[in-house]
Amino acid sequence: MKRVLNFLPWLFGTVKGHEFLFKGITTLILAAGAVVIMVPLAFMISTSLKDPAQIRSDANTLIPRKPQTTEINGERYNLYQVTVNGISREMAMLKKAPGGMANFVDPASPDEIYELKINEQTPLYRLDIHWENYPEALTAMPFFRYLGNTLIVTFVGMAGMLFSCSLVAYGFSRFRARWLNLLFLLLLSTIMLPSQVRLIPLYILFQNLGWVNTLLPLIVPQFFANAYDVFLLRQFFMTIPLELDDAAKIDGANPLQVLLYIILPQARPALVSVGIFHFLYAWNDFYEPLIFLHTRENWTLAVGLQTFDAIYTINTHLIMAVSVLMIVPPIVLFFFSQRIFTQGVVFSGIKG
Amino acid sequence: MKNKLFRLLALLALASMILAACGGGATVTEEAPSGEAPAPASEAPAAGEKAKVVIFVGFGTGTDPDQVAAQEALAKKFNDSHDNIEMEFLIVPNEEARERFLAMVAGDNAPQLVGPHGISTIANFLDQWEDITPYIEKENYDMSDFYGPATTLNKYPDLNAGLPLGLYPSFIFYNKDAFDAAGLDYPTHDYADTSWNLDALREMAMQLTLDADDLTPNDEGFNPATIKQWGYADTWTDARGQLTMFGAPTKGRPTTDDYKTATFNSPEWVFGAQWLHDGIFKDYFIPDAAGQSAIDADTGDPFGGGHVAIWYSHTWYMSEGLNELPFKYDIAPLFFNQDGERISRIHADLFTMPKTAKNKDAAWEVMKWLVAPEQIVDVCKVYGCLPARESSQEAYLNYMKERYPGIDYDVIFTAIDYLDDPNHESWVPEWGKVNDTLNNAQTTIYTEPELDVTNLMNITNEDMQKILDEYWAKQ
Amino acid sequence: MTLFKPHKMSLARREALAGYAFIIPWIIGFLIFTIGPMLASLYFSFTDYNIIDPPRWIGLQNYARVFSGIPEYFKTGDPRQLGDPLFWKSLQVTLYFASLALPLNLILSFFLAILLNQKVPGVNVWRTIFFLPSIIAGVAVTLLWIRILNPRMGILNPFLQNVLGIQNPPGWLQDPNWSVPALVLMSLWGVGGSMIIYLAGLQGIPTDLYDAAKVDGANAWQRFWNVTFPMMTPVLFYNLVLGMIGTFQYFTEVYVATSGTGGPQRSTLFYNLYLYQNAFRYFDMGYASTMAWILFVIVLLLTALIFRSSDAWVYYEGQLRGRG
Repeated sequence: MKRVLNFLPWLFGTVKGHEFLFKGITTLILAAGAVVIMVPLAFMISTSLKDPAQIRSDANTLIPRKPQTTEINGERYNLYQVTVNGISREMAMLKKAPGGMANFVDPASPDEIYELKINEQTPLYRLDIHWENYPEALTAMPFFRYLGNTLIVTFVGMAGMLFSCSLVAYGFSRFRARWLNLLFLLLLSTIMLPSQVRLIPLYILFQNLGWVNTLLPLIVPQFFANAYDVFLLRQFFMTIPLELDDAAKIDGANPLQVLLYIILPQARPALVSVGIFHFLYAWNDFYEPLIFLHTRENWTLAVGLQTFDAIYTINTHLIMAVSVLMIVPPIVLFFFSQRIFTQGVVFSGIKG
Repeated sequence: MKNKLFRLLALLALASMILAACGGGATVTEEAPSGEAPAPASEAPAAGEKAKVVIFVGFGTGTDPDQVAAQEALAKKFNDSHDNIEMEFLIVPNEEARERFLAMVAGDNAPQLVGPHGISTIANFLDQWEDITPYIEKENYDMSDFYGPATTLNKYPDLNAGLPLGLYPSFIFYNKDAFDAAGLDYPTHDYADTSWNLDALREMAMQLTLDADDLTPNDEGFNPATIKQWGYADTWTDARGQLTMFGAPTKGRPTTDDYKTATFNSPEWVFGAQWLHDGIFKDYFIPDAAGQSAIDADTGDPFGGGHVAIWYSHTWYMSEGLNELPFKYDIAPLFFNQDGERISRIHADLFTMPKTAKNKDAAWEVMKWLVAPEQIVDVCKVYGCLPARESSQEAYLNYMKERYPGIDYDVIFTAIDYLDDPNHESWVPEWGKVNDTLNNAQTTIYTEPELDVTNLMNITNEDMQKILDEYWAKQ
Repeated sequence: MTLFKPHKMSLARREALAGYAFIIPWIIGFLIFTIGPMLASLYFSFTDYNIIDPPRWIGLQNYARVFSGIPEYFKTGDPRQLGDPLFWKSLQVTLYFASLALPLNLILSFFLAILLNQKVPGVNVWRTIFFLPSIIAGVAVTLLWIRILNPRMGILNPFLQNVLGIQNPPGWLQDPNWSVPALVLMSLWGVGGSMIIYLAGLQGIPTDLYDAAKVDGANAWQRFWNVTFPMMTPVLFYNLVLGMIGTFQYFTEVYVATSGTGGPQRSTLFYNLYLYQNAFRYFDMGYASTMAWILFVIVLLLTALIFRSSDAWVYYEGQLRGRG
């Protein structure tokens, strides 16, 4: 343990050579982690390009393939690279036999039958990629309709969330009042009660409001803040030095102006984070839409995806195809929002 | 100056509410007018207004995108030919169907019909369903065309849950290539051949079980950790389903006739549990939990991947699973059990009517329409069931023969004669709780190599008895 | 009405009112959407409620069922003496999972955030890669992991055997002793979510603090402990509290991975899964609500405890001291 601790300052040391080494090690660790992360993803993409038969019999192969076959007397047989008497040649497997053996023939001379051990021969494959899974998955549901609904729910909700959560988090982080701490705990407590037991009353509530089968239950509550995002913003607001507020107040700014001109610009990384999180939540959430939406026209993409997971039927390739497609917009969004992220904050004290 | 701020804040709060209302309001789609709001309480809709019949799909099959499209076509056909009723399918994926259905019932917005679903969900929600006996009697509805069993499987003393739609008999699917490779004769298709029993199956299945080196459990050096093909599997069913074939006095129902005493540890079922456990961990011809999950993974299809030579299952596998299999296959009768009895479990699907639903008369009309001779084959094609009407057998057979040529269809129809009654999915008190308790024993059988099976069955029976006692104490 | 008469107010009162005013949006939402369903479920917990028929008041019976039989259990050591052995089993499963998943998640995501905050080449791409798992929707991920973890046909165990030389790799989801660690492993894959929050926290640390530390002669390690870590404690605190709340309600992944059974042998019967089974499989919404409120109290107490402790270890640059 002690040795490790001694090693760390060296690791974080300022010497140029060490820094270079440090970056190298960092990159190595990141690369190893990236492999762990990418393996399931690679299988996801690979599965999205297979047909059900390939998924059934060849699921662990990354590159979609099919056995090569040949026709002999009107029947199709799988081809193998076979070694007979030390000579390697292509042969068709006619029939399996007990003991892991099989009958092989050269398609050119189908009467000469060789009985050989299957394990010792190499099956021949050809590339067989099913791009058509993507159009099939997209046309199996009204894609653009669902995309439209999803975008409405996501972005209107996001606007409402950012607006309300900024105000509420500001209230909870920059003011002193007797009940604020208790109210904050109350806010947090709203996410401590398992949602399963609130579902039925909530459904009845929305039904009485006439909101069932509209997008309203997915959007309107976002305008009234939520514990996750308020808490996160509060944490970030509280790291912003008070001197900045005070300086602005001396210049005659009211609390709202302090929020707008001091706090929010300082908390940009946090705002981007909650924005991304809300986007992902709304983009992927199928549970609430499933409970509150009724007609298929009102569904979101995540609900459409969920219906591929039907019992007794085999849609794995379509599930994966839609999943791959659904990753793209969040990735793009995240990749570009990093620019705001990385700008960081330069100053802390009043000297700004 | 400061009061300006407070006004501003008050305004802001107000604005946030207005914005919320508008932000939402703008998104109400045109397709969702107030017609979706709580239906009028009156039973009979006003003149000129169509009675709405929502069919809740999700407890069983029917949520696959292909099926969704087919159901919409059915709805269109119905709506085009009816002026006073509008039928609509409500699709809810299986995993969320329970919450959604109960929320709708609690919200006084129950769907008019639920289905197609089977004996299990009908039993699980038994108190929910309207008895359709009065409707049948009122119209003197002709039930004679339905297969006898189809009319009784979802019938309880105080409840006839619905008009029969389809049956799903069970039998074995076998992989001909695997049999050829092992040099074995195919299983008999003769229902009268009593030599086709548990021992014959066991012997056959062990020769069909192969490890990575193509050795069978009979061979020296066989390595069970590398099994790539199992001889036999009975998957996709629960504890009651798997043990029913062993022939307890109450067949598929582990209680006495008064439902007060648990009989899960009947000698027949203890024998069956031991037989399964031996098959898994001693003779290795049945996949253990890990093996089952492996052959189920991704495709949910044990047979099609070629990892199981003999698979015991139902007709519903034929709706989708038999497509493009990379080997030759056929179907054969289930084997006889240790007492020389054959019990081939069955499923039966139909549409049910929730008690609290509105527009029940319209729902009855739709229920009749769905199982009418003109439609039943089309409806069954969507859901993969065998139509419950004898008169439709011909049309259905022709359709299936075209789709899957070269299969012995007599096996399917004769299997109905050997069904389990009482059924393995039929009602017992606290159906869900009992089911989960018994299934826990099932997973133990499939995961524990060293296991005192008799003790497990006895303990589970005690747990089940406790549930029954609590239930009856409340009545 | 006092709202519009500021000249009569003290400064403190004015500050308090401004604070309350800013949280009005949440208060309105709480009153409209949240408090009703919460109170309804509290009421259900004192009733026999099967969702279909109206609830029937039964007083403390549901609570009694949970807490009965405890002395007998301690006397005999037989869990079947408990009023509801599965309640305690599910609590145990959840605590076990939390004790593994929570610290591992916190540490791993923090570590990753530190690495991804370095100026390594292509850092934006690295960040995107590590964030990827949190982007993918549930069903597909769980399907993939079921396959990867499968001891017979998955790709993980061959890797453990052939590359790391582990002789008897575990059966993961099919092995009662390894099913919870398997779920922990799945949850660690999605660590990118908390990582992003740390990363945002790291971005928010003003660079002049580092400059000042450098001027004072602090080396990188000292800068980490004296600047980075304290400045990150608010975010750590956030991840700890929300991680705890979320872990105690862990549900979706195990529901999909075990088809809602909590198997094998109830080794993954999580608290919320058992609650769900009671509510929607056994139609005992009364008992499910009781479970929910017991969990609520447990989590609330733990949260309050963490909040209490936060004075000692969470550092806020902009902390308000004094009255309040």
